Amino acid sequence: MASILPGAPQEGIGYSFSQAAPNAASEPRQHSFYPYSDNGGTSLGISGTDFTIMAADTRNVSGYSINTRYSPRLYLIGGEGPENKGARIVLSVVGFTADGSALKERLDNIVKMYKYHHGKPMSVSACAQRLSHLLYSKRFFPFYVSAILGGLDEEGKGALYSYDYVGSYEREQCRSAGAASSLIMPFLDNQVNFKNQYQPGSGTGHNLQAVVAEPLPRERVTQLVRDAFTSAVERHIEVGDGLQMMIITKDGVQEKYVELKKD
Amino acid sequence: MGSPFSMNGGACVAMVGKDCVGIACDLRLGMQALTVSNNFPKIFGINDSVYLGLTGLATDVATVSDLFRFKVNMYRLREERNISPDTFANLVSTSLYERRFGPYFVSPVVAGINQTSGKPFICGFDSIGCIDFAKDFIVSGTASDQLFGMCEGLYEPDLGPDELFETLSQALLSAVDRDALSGWGAHVYIIEKDKVTKRLLKGRQD
Amino acid sequence: MDTLVAQYSCPAIEDTTLDAEQDELLHGPDALSLNFSLPPIAQPSSWLRAMTDDASNPNCPIKIAHGTTTLAFRFKGGIIVCTDSRATQGNWIASQTVKKVIEINNSLLGTMAGGAADCQYWLAYLGMQCRLHELRNKRRITVAAASKILANLVYSYKGMGLSMGTMCAGVTPQEGPALYYVDSDGTRMAGNMFCVGSGQTFAYGVLDAEYRYEMEDEEALELGRRSILAAMHRDAYSGGFINLYHVKEDGWVKHGFSDMNPIFWKTKLEKGEFSNVTADME
Repeated sequence: MASILPGAPQEGIGYSFSQAAPNAASEPRQHSFYPYSDNGGTSLGISGTDFTIMAADTRNVSGYSINTRYSPRLYLIGGEGPENKGARIVLSVVGFTADGSALKERLDNIVKMYKYHHGKPMSVSACAQRLSHLLYSKRFFPFYVSAILGGLDEEGKGALYSYDYVGSYEREQCRSAGAASSLIMPFLDNQVNFKNQYQPGSGTGHNLQAVVAEPLPRERVTQLVRDAFTSAVERHIEVGDGLQMMIITKDGVQEKYVELKKD
Repeated sequence: MGSPFSMNGGACVAMVGKDCVGIACDLRLGMQALTVSNNFPKIFGINDSVYLGLTGLATDVATVSDLFRFKVNMYRLREERNISPDTFANLVSTSLYERRFGPYFVSPVVAGINQTSGKPFICGFDSIGCIDFAKDFIVSGTASDQLFGMCEGLYEPDLGPDELFETLSQALLSAVDRDALSGWGAHVYIIEKDKVTKRLLKGRQD
Repeated sequence: MDTLVAQYSCPAIEDTTLDAEQDELLHGPDALSLNFSLPPIAQPSSWLRAMTDDASNPNCPIKIAHGTTTLAFRFKGGIIVCTDSRATQGNWIASQTVKKVIEINNSLLGTMAGGAADCQYWLAYLGMQCRLHELRNKRRITVAAASKILANLVYSYKGMGLSMGTMCAGVTPQEGPALYYVDSDGTRMAGNMFCVGSGQTFAYGVLDAEYRYEMEDEEALELGRRSILAAMHRDAYSGGFINLYHVKEDGWVKHGFSDMNPIFWKTKLEKGEFSNVTADME
């Protein structure tokens, strides 16, 4: 799929970028080396007082074709053995699946080796920084991946870290990445951080008081996640089929799967 | 330079409610990163119950709005009645298609109430006049992706005028806050059969 | 003959030399290793530009977070450092809560403009080098030396596609308050006042008009805040929160990470500035 051959499909309307190497009129360029492909998909993470919810759709596309309707985008990091038993960190990767799974393998190795060396599991903050360095180590040949890392911090609070392609990272309350992130993110700003919401009756005109954001309960967050994805599925062709959710609490990681529209 | 559609920035959204429609736009006019004006409304009154929203290249927004003011005035003189929203939509469509090979760089939105049937009407267009009739909402402009997400998440059918205003405003404000090229305040029109309410929204100024 | 023998002989024990990756896995990584993988082609840098430079190619697949206004100026009471908090990828606002002031140690600050990852990574690296300098020489590194470590470092990567415009601000016993500008071209200059980023001109406009060396602390903080506010308002790629720091003799003090919107409306309604913005209908 990732092609080093010229003549990949032409740019169409409606998916996030063309499969062909881009051509700007400004500068004549001849690059036949195009090692990326966009497999679409969207991920989402929201952290609360004592939990973090990670979610991603399971459709894998290339151009207008669907490769598979079930390819997970959420991965457990660390824990024991190939099944990652007892892991408390979840990584979501969207973008180019091959780069994504390579990144996941590397991070998983690192976290497991850390436990082997130090005799204790890696903290999320340490793992987050290591992931940043991992992405930056390919600064000149980037992973075509938007990553989100979720877990619980040392105080047991929900922790969520988001990344750009080359490893700049930030801890946040909520973040959506991937194809439909531009549809989901403003919805989250509005419904999770209560942006642009004012307390009714707190005044008129300039005296209106803004609603102060506070962490939401788990049921509300789960509902918001499902609403966000059902909305995104309606308007983005690269999103759909299934929704994989992982809820990280002090008791472990609970995985859920919900059907999404398959058209 | 980028696309002519995203040089000046701007966003517009229309929504259908119960016996009412709403249309809203942001107020920014910019030249790429530089914000030139914070008071550039993109909604134009066609008559008491039909409104036209235009986003895209600002010079074409001005030209096209003037063009339709002229055409609608001529219609009113000839027919001695106001143009209905569905007729106006077809006028917009044919007028844009006249420029098929050198289009105006605008994405129009029409919202109104048909005074004979009392039915709410909204529709959107591409720059060469293909009509998108919608039962729920229409979005356009540089924040259209964000608006799609917001509207799809917040919209429900048969909202009253006040709820429609709230839904429309929340959708627009949160959407433009994720777009660098639109925002800086907003205008919202709620159109009922015999009443139009225009409101100015206080938006983020960055 | 020896080569022939060597070719067919096999070692007594299996070869135990490990490749770099396995080695790193076994012994843990070198902190902030400087081994970067490169694409397997002749011109990695022009390929990288084709993939990531959204200025020359708006359709590039990998959009690195950009867009900023940062400023720092020296005055009687030390140095004021102030930034916005917006990260944009094209016209998309990727984040409104970026921390663009990087705390290198408790008396040195770095600011972030250009590629977010470049700044974060290399200022963290600089922090490490500064700590090593402290341990080796039993005294704090000077701002001049710190900024030079960074300047030399980015110079060694010149042409590879790094993108950063940063300021190093700090107060040391040797230099007093010192301010340096360092960018990814390798430029390094000392100065009294710098604004960096897409909104720099707007910030300079306010700063140049109101700046005096003899300002009191409160005045200086307000000037920093007001300059960034002007840039956030007029520059589409700046906005979010005002991040304000004051560097003094005994280290830096943080003066908040505050949302620009209430501050903007307060400035407008109470002081009558920003009269271009309509607050009433018609």
